[in-house]
Amino acid sequence: MPSPEQDDLKRLGERIDEADRRQNEREAAPPPSAWGIAIRFAAEMVMALVVGGGLGWGIDWAFEHWASVQTRPWGLVVFVLLGAAAGIRNVLRAAKEINAAEAAKE
Amino acid sequence: MAMSPMEQFEVKPIVPLHLGGYDVSFTNQSLFMCLVVAAVTLFFALAVSRPKLVPGKMQSMGEISYEFVANMIRSTSGDAGLVFFPFVFTIFFFVLFSNFLGLIPGAFTVTSQIVVTFALAALVICTVVLVGFARHGFGFLKLFVPKAPWYILWLLVPIEVISFLTRLVSLSVRLFANMLAGHTMLQVFAGFVVALGAAGLLAPLAVAPMLMIVFIGALEMLVAFLQAYVFAVLTCIYLNEALHLHDHH
Repeated sequence: MPSPEQDDLKRLGERIDEADRRQNEREAAPPPSAWGIAIRFAAEMVMALVVGGGLGWGIDWAFEHWASVQTRPWGLVVFVLLGAAAGIRNVLRAAKEINAAEAAKE
Repeated sequence: MAMSPMEQFEVKPIVPLHLGGYDVSFTNQSLFMCLVVAAVTLFFALAVSRPKLVPGKMQSMGEISYEFVANMIRSTSGDAGLVFFPFVFTIFFFVLFSNFLGLIPGAFTVTSQIVVTFALAALVICTVVLVGFARHGFGFLKLFVPKAPWYILWLLVPIEVISFLTRLVSLSVRLFANMLAGHTMLQVFAGFVVALGAAGLLAPLAVAPMLMIVFIGALEMLVAFLQAYVFAVLTCIYLNEALHLHDHH
């Protein structure tokens, strides 16, 4: 038969585990709201377009400035399209991430 | 008090200084960056000044800060990520203290300048690239080569590169836009208070925007912390990717 102290210790251990579990539950990130998801997708798309457009613009500028080759506006055209593709890829990736997080919770 | 809500973001030189054709004046921006660094240093100096087995208030805060960042790194990149603890810790506390110091009325918000947040994001991305090359050599470039047949790869690689560079923009713009929007909103509502307060009979109505300022102020506290947290967590996630290179599809 365990002594009363051991009993107490065991019960204390159980209570600590229980409190730990509840703490972890509380600290788990809340699921993103529909608004949050919408903003995230829009941001992913716009950012990729901006980066693509910026790169294209930069490439046109660099060719004209350093190589005196007139590529304008083709760098911009091509890289905005690539940026759009990258944006769609990012949005799909984000959607996959969110779905995976939802699935993991259930 | 009738000022533009954007005036608070103006960078003004305090000590004008020109070196070799460049304007390197000491500005209110530089001043507040120094203040942020001083505040962080003071905070942790106080936290570790008289260490005891049973921590006092300051020591507790220091230990909680350490635990918080350490857990953040462990949960995103495991124990291997703890190599980057000093880096992530520094970034997190610089951003956190900038955001909170900026909330003091009259203070300048360092993180409301895209230059600052972009430089921080560039630092993070450069570190990711350097760590990637150091760990994997040229194998790091596999990050940009998805599994696909060769005839489509030439199109996918530029897309992946753009997608990678997107992080630079999203990391910096997220922090910058949040701080800019929040502080502008506060200033706009403060302007309403002044305008209504001077409107004779309508003056009691000035209480409404005043209440709004209280609520937005509370919200800004949350945003200040949250954005620092998000910045640090994303840093961890990107570093983790450079460490482990498992493709992020």
